Amino acid sequence: MITRDAATPASGQLSVGEMLLAHGIGRRGFIKFCTAAASAMALPPWMGAAMAEQLRNAARPSVVYLSFQECTGCFESFTRSFAPTIENLIFNVISLDYDDTLMAAAGDAAEAALASAMRDHFGNYVVVVDGSIPTGAGGAYCTAGGRSAVDTLREAAKGASAIICVGTCSSFGGIPFADPNPTGAWPVTAIVGGVPIINVSGCPPIPEVITGTLLQLVSTGQIPDLDEHRRPKAFFGNTIHDRCYRRPFFDAGKFAKTFDDEGARNGWCLYELGCKGPTTFNACATLKWNGGTSFPIESGHGCLGCSEPGFWDKGSFYSAESTPQWGKAGEATPKQVVELAGITAGVGAVLGTASAGVSRLRQASRQKAAEHEHQGDE
Amino acid sequence: MSRLADIPVRIEPAVRTGGLGGGVTAILAELAALLERLAEHGDAGAIDLRSLPMSAQDRAALQAVLGEGEVQATLQADGASSIRETQVAGVWWIEHRDRHGEIIAELLEVAAVPLILGRAADEIAAAARRLRAGITVAAATGQP
Repeated sequence: MITRDAATPASGQLSVGEMLLAHGIGRRGFIKFCTAAASAMALPPWMGAAMAEQLRNAARPSVVYLSFQECTGCFESFTRSFAPTIENLIFNVISLDYDDTLMAAAGDAAEAALASAMRDHFGNYVVVVDGSIPTGAGGAYCTAGGRSAVDTLREAAKGASAIICVGTCSSFGGIPFADPNPTGAWPVTAIVGGVPIINVSGCPPIPEVITGTLLQLVSTGQIPDLDEHRRPKAFFGNTIHDRCYRRPFFDAGKFAKTFDDEGARNGWCLYELGCKGPTTFNACATLKWNGGTSFPIESGHGCLGCSEPGFWDKGSFYSAESTPQWGKAGEATPKQVVELAGITAGVGAVLGTASAGVSRLRQASRQKAAEHEHQGDE
Repeated sequence: MSRLADIPVRIEPAVRTGGLGGGVTAILAELAALLERLAEHGDAGAIDLRSLPMSAQDRAALQAVLGEGEVQATLQADGASSIRETQVAGVWWIEHRDRHGEIIAELLEVAAVPLILGRAADEIAAAARRLRAGITVAAATGQP
Protein backbone atom coordinates (compact mmCIF):
# COMPACT_ATOMS: atom_id res chain seq x y z
CA MET A 1 0.00 0.00 0.00
CA ILE A 2 1.33 3.45 -0.74
CA THR A 3 1.58 5.55 2.39
CA ARG A 4 -1.33 7.44 3.82
CA ASP A 5 0.53 10.67 3.28
CA ALA A 6 0.45 9.97 -0.42
CA ALA A 7 -3.32 9.55 -0.46
CA THR A 8 -4.19 12.47 1.78
CA PRO A 9 -3.32 16.02 0.81
CA ALA A 10 -0.94 17.79 3.14
CA SER A 11 -2.00 21.14 4.53
CA GLY A 12 -1.90 23.74 1.80
CA GLN A 13 -1.63 21.13 -0.94
CA LEU A 14 -4.45 20.91 -3.46
CA SER A 15 -6.36 17.64 -3.68
CA VAL A 16 -7.20 16.19 -7.08
CA GLY A 17 -10.77 17.46 -6.69
CA GLU A 18 -9.66 20.98 -5.83
CA MET A 19 -7.23 20.97 -8.74
CA LEU A 20 -10.02 19.89 -11.10
CA LEU A 21 -12.33 22.59 -9.78
CA ALA A 22 -9.58 25.12 -10.43
CA HIS A 23 -9.61 23.91 -14.04
CA GLY A 24 -13.38 24.24 -14.26
CA ILE A 25 -14.15 20.53 -13.99
CA GLY A 26 -16.84 19.93 -11.37
CA ARG A 27 -17.81 16.80 -9.53
CA ARG A 28 -20.13 15.61 -12.29
CA GLY A 29 -17.46 16.01 -14.92
CA PHE A 30 -15.10 14.10 -12.70
CA ILE A 31 -17.56 11.24 -12.14
CA LYS A 32 -17.95 11.08 -15.90
CA PHE A 33 -14.17 11.02 -16.39
CA CYS A 34 -13.77 8.19 -13.89
CA THR A 35 -16.73 6.23 -15.29
CA ALA A 36 -15.21 6.39 -18.77
CA ALA A 37 -11.78 5.44 -17.39
CA ALA A 38 -13.23 2.46 -15.51
CA SER A 39 -15.08 1.34 -18.64
CA ALA A 40 -11.94 1.64 -20.77
CA MET A 41 -10.01 -0.35 -18.18
CA ALA A 42 -12.69 -3.05 -18.09
CA LEU A 43 -13.19 -2.42 -14.38
CA PRO A 44 -16.59 -3.02 -12.77
CA PRO A 45 -18.83 0.00 -13.45
CA TRP A 46 -19.24 0.83 -9.75
CA MET A 47 -15.47 1.37 -9.63
CA GLY A 48 -15.90 4.59 -11.60
CA ALA A 49 -17.98 6.25 -8.89
CA ALA A 50 -15.79 4.85 -6.10
CA MET A 51 -12.68 5.99 -7.93
CA ALA A 52 -14.15 9.47 -8.38
CA GLU A 53 -14.95 9.79 -4.69
CA GLN A 54 -11.52 8.65 -3.56
CA LEU A 55 -9.60 10.60 -6.17
CA ARG A 56 -11.48 13.80 -5.42
CA ASN A 57 -10.05 13.90 -1.93
CA ALA A 58 -6.65 12.38 -2.72
CA ALA A 59 -3.40 14.27 -3.01
CA ARG A 60 -1.81 14.47 -6.40
CA PRO A 61 1.18 12.21 -5.96
CA SER A 62 4.60 13.29 -7.09
CA VAL A 63 5.69 11.15 -10.02
CA VAL A 64 9.27 10.81 -11.20
CA TYR A 65 9.62 9.33 -14.70
CA LEU A 66 13.05 7.81 -15.36
CA SER A 67 14.03 6.82 -18.91
CA PHE A 68 16.96 4.45 -19.19
CA GLN A 69 18.00 2.03 -21.94
CA GLU A 70 14.95 2.35 -24.18
CA CYS A 71 13.64 3.59 -27.53
CA THR A 72 11.02 6.02 -26.11
CA GLY A 73 8.30 3.91 -27.74
CA CYS A 74 6.73 3.31 -24.34
CA PHE A 75 6.60 7.03 -23.67
CA GLU A 76 5.14 7.63 -27.13
CA SER A 77 2.45 5.11 -26.23
CA PHE A 78 1.87 6.76 -22.84
CA THR A 79 1.13 10.08 -24.53
CA ARG A 80 -1.56 8.52 -26.71
CA SER A 81 -3.91 7.40 -23.98
CA PHE A 82 -7.58 8.08 -24.64
CA ALA A 83 -8.98 7.30 -21.20
CA PRO A 84 -7.67 8.97 -19.23
CA THR A 85 -5.87 11.29 -21.60
CA ILE A 86 -2.31 12.17 -20.77
CA GLU A 87 -3.29 15.83 -20.29
CA ASN A 88 -5.98 14.88 -17.79
CA LEU A 89 -3.56 12.66 -15.95
CA ILE A 90 -0.65 15.07 -15.82
CA PHE A 91 -2.57 18.27 -15.18
CA ASN A 92 -5.21 16.94 -12.82
CA VAL A 93 -4.34 13.63 -11.22
CA ILE A 94 -0.57 13.46 -10.76
CA SER A 95 2.24 15.92 -10.29
CA LEU A 96 4.84 14.94 -12.88
CA ASP A 97 7.89 16.44 -11.23
CA TYR A 98 10.59 14.92 -13.42
CA ASP A 99 10.56 13.54 -16.94
CA ASP A 100 13.58 14.33 -19.05
CA THR A 101 11.63 13.71 -22.27
CA LEU A 102 8.77 16.11 -21.52
CA MET A 103 10.17 18.73 -19.19
CA ALA A 104 11.25 22.12 -20.45
CA ALA A 105 14.15 22.25 -18.02
CA ALA A 106 17.52 20.80 -19.03
CA GLY A 107 20.94 20.24 -17.53
CA ASP A 108 21.42 21.29 -13.89
CA ALA A 109 17.87 22.63 -13.62
CA ALA A 110 16.42 19.26 -14.62
CA GLU A 111 18.65 17.38 -12.18
CA ALA A 112 17.70 19.83 -9.45
CA ALA A 113 14.01 19.10 -10.13
CA LEU A 114 14.68 15.39 -9.64
CA ALA A 115 16.58 15.95 -6.41
CA SER A 116 13.90 18.30 -5.13
CA ALA A 117 11.06 15.86 -5.88
CA MET A 118 12.89 13.02 -4.12
CA ARG A 119 13.75 15.17 -1.11
CA ASP A 120 10.38 16.91 -0.67
CA HIS A 121 8.26 13.79 -1.17
CA PHE A 122 10.56 11.19 0.35
CA GLY A 123 8.59 8.01 1.03
CA ASN A 124 5.61 9.18 -0.99
CA TYR A 125 6.58 9.63 -4.62
CA VAL A 126 5.95 7.11 -7.40
CA VAL A 127 8.82 6.19 -9.72
CA VAL A 128 7.97 5.21 -13.29
CA VAL A 129 10.81 3.44 -15.09
CA ASP A 130 11.05 3.10 -18.83
CA GLY A 131 13.90 0.98 -20.22
CA SER A 132 16.28 -1.65 -18.93
CA ILE A 133 19.30 -0.91 -16.77
CA PRO A 134 22.73 -1.67 -18.26
CA THR A 135 25.30 -2.81 -15.73
CA GLY A 136 28.21 -3.53 -18.08
CA ALA A 137 31.29 -1.28 -18.06
CA GLY A 138 30.34 0.01 -14.64
CA GLY A 139 27.00 1.24 -15.91
CA ALA A 140 28.61 3.50 -18.50
CA TYR A 141 26.24 2.46 -21.31
CA CYS A 142 23.50 4.71 -19.93
CA THR A 143 24.26 7.87 -17.98
CA ALA A 144 22.51 11.18 -17.42
CA GLY A 145 23.82 14.13 -15.48
CA GLY A 146 27.06 12.23 -14.94
CA ARG A 147 25.37 9.34 -13.11
CA SER A 148 24.70 5.84 -14.33
CA ALA A 149 21.19 4.45 -14.69
CA VAL A 150 21.97 1.92 -11.97
CA ASP A 151 22.89 4.60 -9.44
CA THR A 152 19.96 6.84 -10.36
CA LEU A 153 17.50 3.98 -10.01
CA ARG A 154 18.92 2.82 -6.68
CA GLU A 155 18.76 6.32 -5.25
CA ALA A 156 15.25 7.00 -6.57
CA ALA A 157 13.98 3.69 -5.22
CA LYS A 158 15.01 4.56 -1.64
CA GLY A 159 12.21 7.08 -1.16
CA ALA A 160 9.62 5.64 -3.56
CA SER A 161 6.23 4.41 -2.40
CA ALA A 162 6.02 2.24 -5.52
CA ILE A 163 7.81 1.65 -8.80
CA ILE A 164 5.89 1.17 -12.02
CA CYS A 165 7.94 -0.45 -14.77
CA VAL A 166 6.54 0.72 -18.09
CA GLY A 167 7.38 -1.59 -20.96
CA THR A 168 9.02 -4.97 -21.33
CA CYS A 169 12.56 -3.53 -21.04
CA SER A 170 12.13 -2.27 -17.48
CA SER A 171 9.81 -5.16 -16.59
CA PHE A 172 11.78 -8.10 -17.97
CA GLY A 173 14.88 -6.69 -19.68
CA GLY A 174 13.28 -6.59 -23.14
CA ILE A 175 15.34 -6.18 -26.28
CA PRO A 176 18.54 -4.91 -24.57
CA PHE A 177 18.44 -8.06 -22.39
CA ALA A 178 18.14 -10.27 -25.48
CA ASP A 179 21.01 -12.52 -26.42
CA PRO A 180 23.91 -11.58 -26.42
CA ASN A 181 22.99 -8.67 -24.10
CA PRO A 182 26.14 -6.65 -24.84
CA THR A 183 25.44 -3.98 -22.21
CA GLY A 184 24.70 -6.32 -19.33
CA ALA A 185 21.09 -5.09 -19.21
CA TRP A 186 18.70 -6.12 -16.43
CA PRO A 187 15.11 -5.40 -15.46
CA VAL A 188 14.29 -3.21 -12.46
CA THR A 189 13.52 -6.21 -10.24
CA ALA A 190 17.12 -7.34 -10.61
CA ILE A 191 18.47 -4.01 -9.38
CA VAL A 192 16.25 -2.88 -6.50
CA GLY A 193 14.18 -4.56 -3.82
CA GLY A 194 12.20 -3.62 -0.74
CA VAL A 195 9.69 -1.45 -2.63
CA PRO A 196 6.46 -2.52 -4.37
CA ILE A 197 7.15 -3.02 -8.08
CA ILE A 198 4.40 -3.17 -10.72
CA ASN A 199 5.28 -4.39 -14.20
CA VAL A 200 3.27 -2.91 -17.06
CA SER A 201 4.89 -4.92 -19.81
CA GLY A 202 4.48 -4.65 -23.57
CA CYS A 203 6.61 -3.37 -26.42
CA PRO A 204 5.12 -0.88 -25.99
CA PRO A 205 2.34 -1.33 -23.42
CA ILE A 206 -1.20 -0.28 -24.34
CA PRO A 207 -1.54 3.44 -23.45
CA GLU A 208 -4.68 2.91 -21.37
CA VAL A 209 -2.96 0.16 -19.41
CA ILE A 210 -0.18 2.58 -18.42
CA THR A 211 -2.49 5.42 -17.44
CA GLY A 212 -5.06 3.03 -15.96
CA THR A 213 -2.47 1.45 -13.66
CA LEU A 214 -1.35 4.88 -12.48
CA LEU A 215 -4.95 5.95 -11.95
CA GLN A 216 -5.75 2.81 -9.99
CA LEU A 217 -2.70 3.31 -7.80
CA VAL A 218 -3.55 6.94 -7.09
CA SER A 219 -7.28 6.44 -6.55
CA THR A 220 -7.08 3.42 -4.26
CA GLY A 221 -3.73 4.13 -2.62
CA GLN A 222 -3.02 0.43 -2.96
CA ILE A 223 -0.99 -1.82 -5.20
CA PRO A 224 -3.45 -3.56 -7.55
CA ASP A 225 -3.72 -7.35 -7.66
CA LEU A 226 -0.73 -8.66 -9.59
CA ASP A 227 0.01 -11.88 -11.43
CA GLU A 228 3.14 -14.03 -11.06
CA HIS A 229 5.11 -11.53 -13.16
CA ARG A 230 3.91 -8.56 -11.04
CA ARG A 231 1.53 -7.40 -13.77
CA PRO A 232 -1.91 -5.95 -12.85
CA LYS A 233 -4.46 -8.72 -13.22
CA ALA A 234 -7.07 -6.23 -14.38
CA PHE A 235 -5.16 -5.96 -17.66
CA PHE A 236 -3.04 -9.10 -17.80
CA GLY A 237 -5.56 -11.60 -16.44
CA ASN A 238 -6.38 -13.21 -19.80
CA THR A 239 -4.37 -14.37 -22.77
CA ILE A 240 -4.80 -12.67 -26.13
CA HIS A 241 -6.04 -16.04 -27.35
CA ASP A 242 -8.73 -16.23 -24.65
CA ARG A 243 -10.34 -13.01 -25.88
CA CYS A 244 -9.44 -13.15 -29.58
CA TYR A 245 -12.27 -12.68 -32.06
CA ARG A 246 -10.57 -15.34 -34.25
CA ARG A 247 -10.82 -17.93 -31.48
CA PRO A 248 -13.81 -19.71 -33.11
CA PHE A 249 -11.52 -20.60 -36.05
CA PHE A 250 -8.88 -22.03 -33.74
CA ASP A 251 -11.55 -24.14 -32.08
CA ALA A 252 -12.83 -25.22 -35.50
CA GLY A 253 -9.29 -26.11 -36.69
CA LYS A 254 -9.27 -23.46 -39.44
CA PHE A 255 -5.78 -21.96 -39.78
CA ALA A 256 -4.23 -19.55 -42.29
CA LYS A 257 -1.13 -21.19 -43.81
CA THR A 258 0.37 -18.06 -45.39
CA PHE A 259 -0.37 -14.37 -45.03
CA ASP A 260 -2.11 -14.21 -48.39
CA ASP A 261 -3.98 -17.48 -48.71
CA GLU A 262 -7.71 -17.94 -48.62
CA GLY A 263 -7.64 -18.67 -44.91
CA ALA A 264 -5.86 -15.37 -44.18
CA ARG A 265 -8.35 -13.49 -46.36
CA ASN A 266 -11.19 -15.16 -44.49
CA GLY A 267 -9.76 -14.13 -41.15
CA TRP A 268 -8.85 -17.62 -39.94
CA CYS A 269 -6.65 -18.27 -36.93
CA LEU A 270 -2.98 -17.18 -37.28
CA TYR A 271 -1.60 -19.81 -34.89
CA GLU A 272 0.39 -21.66 -37.55
CA LEU A 273 1.87 -18.35 -38.77
CA GLY A 274 3.47 -17.84 -35.39
CA CYS A 275 0.79 -16.06 -33.38
CA LYS A 276 1.85 -16.11 -29.71
CA GLY A 277 -1.65 -15.24 -28.50
CA PRO A 278 -2.14 -18.53 -26.61
CA THR A 279 0.76 -17.81 -24.25
CA THR A 280 0.62 -14.02 -24.08
CA PHE A 281 -1.18 -12.24 -21.28
CA ASN A 282 -2.30 -8.75 -22.26
CA ALA A 283 -5.40 -6.68 -23.02
CA CYS A 284 -4.84 -6.07 -26.76
CA ALA A 285 -7.88 -8.13 -27.78
CA THR A 286 -10.22 -6.20 -25.48
CA LEU A 287 -8.89 -2.66 -24.99
CA LYS A 288 -7.26 -2.69 -28.43
CA TRP A 289 -5.12 0.23 -29.68
CA ASN A 290 -5.66 3.79 -30.88
CA GLY A 291 -8.78 4.36 -28.84
CA GLY A 292 -10.15 0.88 -29.42
CA THR A 293 -9.67 0.89 -33.20
CA SER A 294 -7.89 -2.40 -33.75
CA PHE A 295 -5.07 -4.68 -32.61
CA PRO A 296 -2.36 -6.60 -34.50
CA ILE A 297 -4.37 -9.80 -35.04
CA GLU A 298 -7.30 -7.75 -36.35
CA SER A 299 -4.82 -6.21 -38.81
CA GLY A 300 -3.78 -9.66 -40.04
CA HIS A 301 -0.56 -10.23 -38.09
CA GLY A 302 -0.03 -12.70 -35.30
CA CYS A 303 0.75 -11.62 -31.75
CA LEU A 304 4.51 -11.35 -31.07
CA GLY A 305 4.10 -12.03 -27.37
CA CYS A 306 5.81 -8.74 -26.52
CA SER A 307 4.44 -8.54 -22.98
CA GLU A 308 6.00 -11.83 -21.92
CA PRO A 309 9.48 -12.30 -20.42
CA GLY A 310 12.18 -13.15 -22.96
CA PHE A 311 9.89 -12.60 -25.94
CA TRP A 312 12.72 -11.51 -28.23
CA ASP A 313 14.66 -14.75 -27.75
CA LYS A 314 11.84 -17.24 -28.08
CA GLY A 315 12.56 -18.16 -31.69
CA SER A 316 10.97 -16.89 -34.87
CA PHE A 317 7.90 -14.70 -34.68
CA TYR A 318 6.65 -16.64 -37.69
CA SER A 319 6.95 -20.17 -36.36
CA ALA A 320 4.11 -21.84 -34.53
CA GLU A 321 4.57 -22.01 -30.79
CA SER A 322 4.95 -25.75 -31.00
CA THR A 323 8.18 -25.28 -33.00
CA PRO A 324 11.25 -26.30 -30.98
CA GLN A 325 13.21 -23.28 -29.75
CA TRP A 326 16.88 -22.89 -29.15
CA GLY A 327 18.88 -20.17 -27.50
CA LYS A 328 19.12 -18.26 -24.30
CA ALA A 329 15.63 -17.45 -24.29
CA GLY A 330 14.15 -20.05 -24.82
CA GLU A 331 14.89 -20.33 -21.30
CA ALA A 332 14.29 -23.92 -22.29
CA THR A 333 17.31 -26.16 -22.13
CA PRO A 334 18.30 -28.25 -25.17
CA LYS A 335 17.06 -31.25 -23.23
CA GLN A 336 13.62 -29.66 -22.84
CA VAL A 337 13.58 -28.80 -26.52
CA VAL A 338 14.38 -32.36 -27.43
CA GLU A 339 11.56 -33.48 -25.19
CA LEU A 340 9.25 -31.03 -26.92
CA ALA A 341 10.31 -32.17 -30.36
CA GLY A 342 9.98 -35.79 -29.36
CA ILE A 343 6.35 -35.52 -28.48
CA THR A 344 5.38 -33.33 -31.40
CA ALA A 345 3.58 -35.55 -33.86
CA GLY A 346 0.44 -34.80 -35.78
CA VAL A 347 -1.92 -31.87 -35.62
CA GLY A 348 -3.67 -33.11 -32.52
CA ALA A 349 -0.40 -33.38 -30.66
CA VAL A 350 0.68 -29.91 -31.69
CA LEU A 351 -1.75 -28.14 -29.43
CA GLY A 352 -1.06 -30.39 -26.48
CA THR A 353 2.64 -29.95 -27.02
CA ALA A 354 2.32 -26.20 -27.10
CA SER A 355 0.59 -26.34 -23.77
CA ALA A 356 3.23 -28.59 -22.25
CA GLY A 357 6.01 -26.47 -23.72
CA VAL A 358 4.46 -23.31 -22.40
CA SER A 359 4.23 -24.80 -18.95
CA ARG A 360 7.92 -25.71 -19.02
CA LEU A 361 8.95 -22.34 -20.42
CA ARG A 362 6.93 -20.62 -17.72
CA GLN A 363 8.60 -22.71 -15.06
CA ALA A 364 12.04 -21.80 -16.39
CA SER A 365 11.00 -18.18 -16.71
CA ARG A 366 9.80 -18.10 -13.11
CA GLN A 367 13.11 -19.52 -11.96
CA LYS A 368 14.95 -16.87 -13.90
CA ALA A 369 12.76 -14.10 -12.46
CA ALA A 370 13.39 -15.45 -8.98
CA GLU A 371 17.12 -15.30 -9.66
CA HIS A 372 16.78 -11.68 -10.78
CA GLU A 373 14.88 -10.74 -7.67
CA HIS A 374 17.37 -12.52 -5.48
CA GLN A 375 20.11 -10.51 -7.08
CA GLY A 376 18.12 -7.31 -6.57
CA ASP A 377 17.69 -7.98 -2.88
CA GLU A 378 21.38 -8.42 -2.31
CA MET B 1 -8.74 -7.88 -42.97
CA SER B 2 -12.18 -9.28 -42.30
CA ARG B 3 -14.07 -8.45 -39.22
CA LEU B 4 -15.99 -11.19 -37.46
CA ALA B 5 -19.21 -10.14 -39.18
CA ASP B 6 -17.52 -10.52 -42.60
CA ILE B 7 -16.23 -14.02 -42.03
CA PRO B 8 -18.22 -16.57 -44.02
CA VAL B 9 -18.67 -19.02 -41.19
CA ARG B 10 -22.00 -20.26 -39.94
CA ILE B 11 -22.37 -19.71 -36.23
CA GLU B 12 -25.02 -21.62 -34.36
CA PRO B 13 -27.73 -19.15 -33.33
CA ALA B 14 -28.01 -18.47 -29.62
CA VAL B 15 -30.84 -20.14 -27.74
CA ARG B 16 -33.84 -17.82 -27.83
CA THR B 17 -36.01 -17.25 -24.79
CA GLY B 18 -39.34 -15.69 -25.66
CA GLY B 19 -37.79 -14.08 -28.75
CA LEU B 20 -34.87 -12.55 -26.83
CA GLY B 21 -31.21 -13.44 -27.35
CA GLY B 22 -29.39 -15.20 -24.53
CA GLY B 23 -27.27 -12.10 -23.89
CA VAL B 24 -30.32 -9.87 -23.45
CA THR B 25 -31.95 -12.38 -21.13
CA ALA B 26 -28.76 -12.45 -19.03
CA ILE B 27 -28.70 -8.64 -18.80
CA LEU B 28 -32.35 -8.55 -17.76
CA ALA B 29 -31.70 -11.19 -15.10
CA GLU B 30 -28.76 -9.15 -13.79
CA LEU B 31 -30.93 -6.01 -13.75
CA ALA B 32 -33.60 -7.87 -11.78
CA ALA B 33 -31.00 -8.95 -9.22
CA LEU B 34 -29.64 -5.39 -8.94
CA LEU B 35 -33.17 -4.01 -8.50
CA GLU B 36 -33.89 -6.52 -5.74
CA ARG B 37 -30.69 -5.50 -3.97
CA LEU B 38 -31.60 -1.82 -4.36
CA ALA B 39 -35.09 -2.42 -2.98
CA GLU B 40 -33.90 -4.48 -0.01
CA HIS B 41 -30.64 -2.79 0.96
CA GLY B 42 -30.59 0.52 -0.91
CA ASP B 43 -27.40 -0.43 -2.76
CA ALA B 44 -27.08 1.07 -6.23
CA GLY B 45 -25.47 -0.88 -9.08
CA ALA B 46 -24.62 -0.65 -12.76
CA ILE B 47 -23.95 -2.71 -15.87
CA ASP B 48 -21.28 -1.51 -18.31
CA LEU B 49 -22.84 -2.00 -21.75
CA ARG B 50 -19.55 -1.37 -23.53
CA SER B 51 -18.01 -4.44 -21.92
CA LEU B 52 -20.68 -6.72 -23.39
CA PRO B 53 -20.43 -8.07 -26.95
CA MET B 54 -23.99 -7.19 -28.05
CA SER B 55 -25.23 -7.40 -31.61
CA ALA B 56 -27.32 -4.57 -33.02
CA GLN B 57 -30.30 -6.93 -32.81
CA ASP B 58 -29.70 -7.62 -29.13
CA ARG B 59 -29.26 -3.96 -28.40
CA ALA B 60 -32.54 -3.04 -30.09
CA ALA B 61 -34.28 -5.83 -28.22
CA LEU B 62 -32.93 -4.59 -24.90
CA GLN B 63 -34.05 -1.04 -25.64
CA ALA B 64 -37.51 -2.28 -26.61
CA VAL B 65 -37.90 -4.29 -23.42
CA LEU B 66 -36.73 -1.48 -21.13
CA GLY B 67 -38.69 1.23 -22.97
CA GLU B 68 -38.71 4.96 -22.24
CA GLY B 69 -39.58 6.37 -18.82
CA GLU B 70 -40.74 9.82 -17.77
CA VAL B 71 -37.41 11.56 -17.21
CA GLN B 72 -34.77 12.54 -19.73
CA ALA B 73 -31.85 14.71 -18.67
CA THR B 74 -28.90 16.15 -20.55
CA LEU B 75 -25.66 16.88 -18.75
CA GLN B 76 -23.00 19.20 -20.19
CA ALA B 77 -19.71 18.34 -18.52
CA ASP B 78 -16.66 17.92 -20.73
CA GLY B 79 -19.03 16.75 -23.49
CA ALA B 80 -22.72 15.86 -23.47
CA SER B 81 -24.26 13.01 -21.51
CA SER B 82 -27.80 11.72 -21.79
CA ILE B 83 -29.55 10.21 -18.79
CA ARG B 84 -32.81 8.49 -19.66
CA GLU B 85 -35.17 6.78 -17.28
CA THR B 86 -36.55 3.50 -18.58
CA GLN B 87 -40.01 2.10 -17.99
CA VAL B 88 -38.46 -0.17 -15.39
CA ALA B 89 -38.44 1.95 -12.23
CA GLY B 90 -34.90 2.35 -10.93
CA VAL B 91 -33.18 1.48 -14.23
CA TRP B 92 -31.51 4.39 -16.06
CA TRP B 93 -29.84 4.26 -19.48
CA ILE B 94 -26.80 6.56 -19.35
CA GLU B 95 -24.64 7.55 -22.30
CA HIS B 96 -21.50 9.69 -21.84
CA ARG B 97 -19.91 11.42 -24.82
CA ASP B 98 -16.67 13.40 -25.06
CA ARG B 99 -16.27 16.88 -26.51
CA HIS B 100 -16.08 15.38 -30.00
CA GLY B 101 -19.37 13.53 -29.61
CA GLU B 102 -17.76 10.08 -29.30
CA ILE B 103 -19.32 7.70 -26.80
CA ILE B 104 -16.85 7.13 -23.96
CA ALA B 105 -19.09 5.17 -21.60
CA GLU B 106 -22.54 3.62 -21.71
CA LEU B 107 -24.16 1.95 -18.76
CA LEU B 108 -27.40 0.87 -17.20
CA GLU B 109 -27.45 2.33 -13.70
CA VAL B 110 -29.77 0.86 -11.11
CA ALA B 111 -30.55 3.58 -8.57
CA ALA B 112 -33.40 5.75 -7.29
CA VAL B 113 -31.62 8.72 -8.89
CA PRO B 114 -28.40 8.37 -10.93
CA LEU B 115 -25.33 9.27 -8.93
CA ILE B 116 -24.19 11.84 -11.45
CA LEU B 117 -27.42 13.86 -11.12
CA GLY B 118 -27.21 14.36 -7.37
CA ARG B 119 -25.11 16.91 -5.53
CA ALA B 120 -22.70 15.97 -2.76
CA ALA B 121 -23.12 17.36 0.77
CA ASP B 122 -19.83 19.29 0.59
CA GLU B 123 -20.90 20.94 -2.68
CA ILE B 124 -24.19 22.00 -1.09
CA ALA B 125 -22.42 23.31 2.01
CA ALA B 126 -19.97 25.27 -0.16
CA ALA B 127 -22.88 26.70 -2.15
CA ALA B 128 -24.57 27.82 1.08
CA ARG B 129 -21.37 29.55 2.21
CA ARG B 130 -21.01 31.30 -1.13
CA LEU B 131 -24.65 32.41 -1.06
CA ARG B 132 -24.32 33.74 2.50
CA ALA B 133 -21.19 35.64 1.53
CA GLY B 134 -22.96 37.00 -1.54
CA ILE B 135 -25.89 38.21 0.56
CA THR B 136 -23.50 39.99 2.92
CA VAL B 137 -21.68 41.69 0.07
CA ALA B 138 -24.94 42.63 -1.62
CA ALA B 139 -26.31 44.09 1.60
CA ALA B 140 -23.16 46.14 2.15
CA THR B 141 -22.70 47.42 -1.39
CA GLY B 142 -26.20 47.35 -2.74
CA GLN B 143 -24.88 45.38 -5.68
CA PRO B 144 -26.33 41.92 -6.44
